[in-house]
Parts: sequence; C-alpha cells; structure tokens
Amino acid sequence: MQSHAGPDPFAVLGLEPRFDLDSTQLEARFHERSREVHPDRFVGAPAGQRAAALVQTRALNDAYQVLKKPQRRAEHLLARHGVAIDERERLEPGFLMEILELREELADARVANQLERVKALGADMRRRQQMMVDGLAPRFGQLGRADDAAVLAAIKHDLITLRYLSRYVEECDAAIDASD
Amino acid sequence: MLLQISEPGASPDKAACKQRVVGIDLGTTNSLVAWVGEGSPAVITPSGGAALVPSVVSYDGTDVIVGDAALARGEAHPMDTVASVKRLMGRALADVGAAVSMSPNQILDDAGRMVKLRFSDGRERSPVQVSAAILAELRMRAEAALGGPLDGAVITVPAYFDDAQRQATRDAGRLAGLEVLRLLSEPTAAALAYGLDRGTRGTYAVYDLGGGTFDISILTLVDGVFEVRSTGGDSALGGDDLDRAIVTAIAGELPALDELERKRALGSATAAARAAKERLTEVESTMVRIGATERALTRAELTAIAAPLLERTGKACRRALRDAGYEPAQLDGVVLVGGSTRSPVVRAFVAELFGREPLCELDPDQVVALGAAVQADVLAGGQTDIVLLDVVPLSLGLETMGGVVEKLIVRNSTIPCGATQTFTTYADQQTGFDLHVVQGERETVEACRSLARFQLRGVPPMVAGAARIEISFKVDADGILHVDAVEQVSGITAAVDVKPSYGLTDEEVERMLIESFDHAEDDLIARNLRTEQVEAERILAATRAAVIADPHLLDDDVRAATEAAIVTLEAARSGTDYLAIRGAIEALDRASKPFAERRMNLAIARAMQGKDLDAVEQELSK
Repeated sequence: MQSHAGPDPFAVLGLEPRFDLDSTQLEARFHERSREVHPDRFVGAPAGQRAAALVQTRALNDAYQVLKKPQRRAEHLLARHGVAIDERERLEPGFLMEILELREELADARVANQLERVKALGADMRRRQQMMVDGLAPRFGQLGRADDAAVLAAIKHDLITLRYLSRYVEECDAAIDASD
Repeated sequence: MLLQISEPGASPDKAACKQRVVGIDLGTTNSLVAWVGEGSPAVITPSGGAALVPSVVSYDGTDVIVGDAALARGEAHPMDTVASVKRLMGRALADVGAAVSMSPNQILDDAGRMVKLRFSDGRERSPVQVSAAILAELRMRAEAALGGPLDGAVITVPAYFDDAQRQATRDAGRLAGLEVLRLLSEPTAAALAYGLDRGTRGTYAVYDLGGGTFDISILTLVDGVFEVRSTGGDSALGGDDLDRAIVTAIAGELPALDELERKRALGSATAAARAAKERLTEVESTMVRIGATERALTRAELTAIAAPLLERTGKACRRALRDAGYEPAQLDGVVLVGGSTRSPVVRAFVAELFGREPLCELDPDQVVALGAAVQADVLAGGQTDIVLLDVVPLSLGLETMGGVVEKLIVRNSTIPCGATQTFTTYADQQTGFDLHVVQGERETVEACRSLARFQLRGVPPMVAGAARIEISFKVDADGILHVDAVEQVSGITAAVDVKPSYGLTDEEVERMLIESFDHAEDDLIARNLRTEQVEAERILAATRAAVIADPHLLDDDVRAATEAAIVTLEAARSGTDYLAIRGAIEALDRASKPFAERRMNLAIARAMQGKDLDAVEQELSK
C-alpha cells in the first residue's frame, strides 16, 4: 500500500507515456539509466553526490517496477488521466461468486494437500489473467478517439477485476511455497 | 593554481594513482583476499603460504591467533578457539541452538541480542570481534603484498543474509580497520568472476553451497549489467551440516562423556567425516573411522545421507525460479560456487534439478573472492561498464495492530529501494509511538525476524487520528535498512531511537575499537588521522577531476571558493590534526556544492531526457 506521489516513472526512464511499451527497450533504458546514477559509481564522491545517487536510484528502481508489469503500468496511466482505482467499487455478482467458489476450491485443495490441483488452479488463473492483460492494449488504443470517459471506465473495471485475479494467483503461489 | 590530475580510471599512468582496494571472501570455513593487479583478478598469497585462511581464531589471553595456527591450537585449547563464527553473526541464542550443542565454545545469551562468547580467562567477546580478527589478518596480508595501507575493501556476504547479519559484517569490517566499500552478495560475486556478462543476454542460476550457508540467485546478464532477478537460500545450511549427518549415520550418538570430552570427540569425528567426504570426490568408496566405528563409506551411501539436505536446497531453488518467473529449461546455465560443490553427489543433484551440466571451471573456493576484487576495482575506478543490480532477499515490514505484519518492501526488490507508510494516532494527545521493524515472508510478527524497535517521541499532542506520521524505509546498496519518521501535520521530525534487536550499538563498536588497541588513545588518533587523510585525498582527486571535466559549470566566485578550500585541505592533510582535516573536507564540500549540484543535474538531465548538451545547459543557466 504505497503512495506513489513521486517523480513520473515514464520521465525517469525517458519514455513516452503509453501502455504498449517494448519490454526489451524498457529493460535497455533501465540498464542505461542505472549506469548513470547507481551509487556504485559514486563511492569516491563527496557525501552530497552519494546521497543524490541513492535518491535517484531508488526513484529509478521504483519507476521500473511501475512500468515493468502491465497491470501496474495501466493503473499508473489511469491515474494520469485522473482515474483512481477504488476497490470498493462493485463488480458483477456473478464474477464475485465465481471468485468465491474458486477460493473454496483452493482452500479444499490445500487442506487435502493436493499440490497438483493447487498448481492447476494457479495456472488456469494465470492464463485468464494474461488474456485480460492482453485486452488492455487495444482499450488504451481507443483513447483520444471518441468517448474517453467510457474507455477509461472500462479499463478501470478490467483493472479492478485483475486485482482479484492476481491476488488469487498469489494465494496459489503462497500455498505452493508453504507446502514445498 | 590547480594541479593537473586526470579523471580516475582514465589516466595513462594508472598504476601510480591506483587505489589499493581488495575483495574479501569472509567464509564460514575459509577466507581469502584478492585484488585486481595489472589486469585480471588474483588471490593474494603470502610467500610460502596458502591462499586460503581458515576462518578460525584462537585467543591466548589478549593475543589473537588467526588461520592455520589457530586451527592447530584448537586441539589443545578448544574452548578458546572459535571456528565457523559466521554462523553466529547477527544471531541470538534462540537461533543457534544446534551450533551451541556441538561447539566447544561457551556461547551465551546476551539478553536476547546477538550471542556472546566466553573464554577460559573469563573474557567475553562478540562474534563481530572474532570476525574482525579474521578480517584484520587478511588486511595485513594484503597490505604486506600491496606495499601500503588499503584504501578500501569489498566484503562478500551470503545473498540470503538478513539485515542483522549484514550489519554485523559491516561492523566487523570497521573494527578491523577496513573501509568497507560495499557488501557484495556471494552469488553475484561469482557471476562477476565468471564474466558471464560478455556475449549475448543470458539468465543464469548461481548455486552456492558453502561451509555454513546456501544461496541460490537467478541473474540476467548482458553487456556489463548484472541484474539479480531473485535470490533465496538458507543461511544455516552448508557443508558442515553434511559432515554432521555423516557422523550421525556412521556412529550414531557419540558416547555421553563429560560435555567437553563429547564436544572434542565430535570435533574430531566431524573432521574425519569431512575428510572422507572429500576423498569420495575422487574414489567410489573409502574407509572412515568415527568414534569406535571403522568401516567403508561409499558414494552411494553419501548420496543417501545428503539427500534431505540437498532437498532443502532444491526447495529454495524452486522458489527462487518461481520468484524470477523462470523454468529451469529457460536458463542459459548454472554456476557452482563453494567447496561443497566439488562433490560429485552435489553436482549430480544440481544437474538433475536444472536439467543441465553445471559450469564449474573456476576454482569454487576462489571464485567469490575474485569477483569481489573485480567489484572493488570497479568501485575505486568509478567505471560505468559494470553495474550490479542486487536485491533485498527478504521482505521488510512493520508490526501493526494484532501482531500482523504490514510489508513495506517485498523480497527481491532491486536495491537501493524505498517505501513509505503513513500512520496516525489511536488516542487523543498521544505523543509517542512504538514501532517494530521485522523481516520475513510470514503474516505474523512471531514468525518473522525482529530487526529493530523504535520509539517515536515528541509527536505534538493532537486529537486521535489527526497526526500523520510518515515512516519511510530506505534500503541502501549494501542491503541494509534505514528508517526515518516525520510527523507531517506539524512538520516535526520526531525523535527516533533505534534499538537494533541483534546488532551492536555505535557505542559498543567504539568501545571494542578502543579495547582492540594496546595503546588505545594513540592508536585511535593515528587511525582517525589515516582515515581522514584517505578521505581528503579522495575528495581532492574527485574535485580536481570535476573541475577539469566541466570548467564551464563553475561560476567565478564558486571557483575561487573551491580553490581556496582545496588549498586549505591540502595543507591540513599534510598535518597531524585529524579534526582540522575533517573540517577542511566539510568546507570544500560546502564551497563546491553549487558546482556539484549543477554537474549532477546535468548528468541526470542528460541521462533522462536524451537532449543534446547545449539545450540542457541553456536550461540550467536560466
């Protein structure tokens, strides 16, 4: 639960703010910037420069974390448009029921120590998560054409849904960690 | 009039102004020191001696004996001879139960903090002091070989070492009179030594099984950038445990004589087990004698004995792969580090786990020190072609209501990193807070490792819920945590007292520093003088180089103030008053600050915006 009132992650990495980023280019930029500001470069420098290097590198590492994962990147872009993710917003009862049932299945599998079942549940959810994430790029592509408010609302809805999905994946991973 | 000194690393006469920096592998069983001399990294070996220094310290009153001689003395003086002290660094008695029952040393509780050792003359010492003795021995070796005092050292630590263990290592370096440039993770050091960054982009696993610790790191390497994707391990699992398992398998429980006899017997039994284990690297079967039992031990039996231990390493590897998002088949290679990985049993296990033959051309006992030497060279020269992006191995959080942990920094976050959390008060007029910082992956405080307790005082009295206390966690490049707190409504930085749960306080380190000198006062002054002189030389070289590089960023008045401060510092540096030098360093920092800021802004702007130099300079001069 971090407040992200820091420097603009896109500016820090020197990239245009957009959803579809080339991950190879992003990584290359991150490596380049790291060379410039990393504290290792300033070990022999005066205290002021050393402190500045630490601050800059933390900001760089944080920015990279925001941009690396599509979900966080999308949430950030939404925030730039003034739209905040509010988890208390209602999703469809049908979806919530589904998540509840999947949770129960996971709990049962854990209690019965059925590791393979847990892995399968996690893998299924990962696939579902990936499909939703893949759908984000076309949505962002629709911005600036006609009804931005509607597009942003749709993206927001997807991102809230994705939070449920990724939490489920985390629970599966934690179950595997614990039982391994 | 400024002297002409070139940018560090760019001078053609590099040997003349090269700093004396070394890499140190402070291992559980053996330690060594290496440096980058005229090109490639090399281990420093005293003439007629061995490169490896056993990590053993023996005390004879106030005399300190380190290495082979200490090992030899251990037979006759087991209580006063300490081996594998790395296992005790940053650990309380509750953490090291097994080690206590097997060690001939008296290991005592210290009010729940890091253990202390009591010796036969009644003296007590911290594991930090024992480690410092090993580091001091390595320092003296290096200084003898390099012909002068060291300017700095990179000391390696297991990637999985937690905050308390790292602090203890850094304190030991300080006590040994070393300028610790960086604490470097052992697997990352090994990756550096292997030079896997040359060639195409690749992702490698480093499997590091030492005497007392196990680390697994997954790194992506390309063009000089070493990015750790995930790290895992067990800081209480190593070759020593396999030796003990062999003893148990062959001789069962050793006869319960008196405590000291039992420990002595265990000591020789373990040594016999280790020797047999090592012989099995070359042969399929060997005779071993442990206690009253003498029989053959085969490689197959060793495999069976080792299986549960190796399975623990397998579990850590699987989790690290999951964290990094890689399947074994997607890796480009696996590197073996640590003496224990010489064993064909371990190699077979690793090959099966990762589905490929591991890389092991470099001497697994030396590779970590060599990598540390490479990084020391990089840090001293200010090169940019190698960048190590390491990670924090364990999540860091705060205790909240109900003993639940709120994670602020998740494991495998690239360091340096930071995070903030805002709290408020529960009661009206509340002026203080108790904060408990913990490390670990579990949900509850009991299941995590306590790092420190804070008492936040001086919060202005307000209605409950009105205060905004912002706690910020900052992890530095050594993987060590610093915590700050600011009350935002009033703008007051409330006083924060940190009581490290296991670490030494600054006062304790100072006291140990003084105790370690025969002529405490004189030696302390001499040390301080040398420290300030080294720092002065560093600042002078850096400032001169900066002035040569960016003269156009210097305003006339800043230039004049800087030059005056340089002259004052040069004069102070040639003197014997360390306080005067320190004052002159601070004065130079202040005088050159506007210049330093402009250079920094320019470097950042250049890096961030990719604009050409003229445009940026125009902006800056507005």
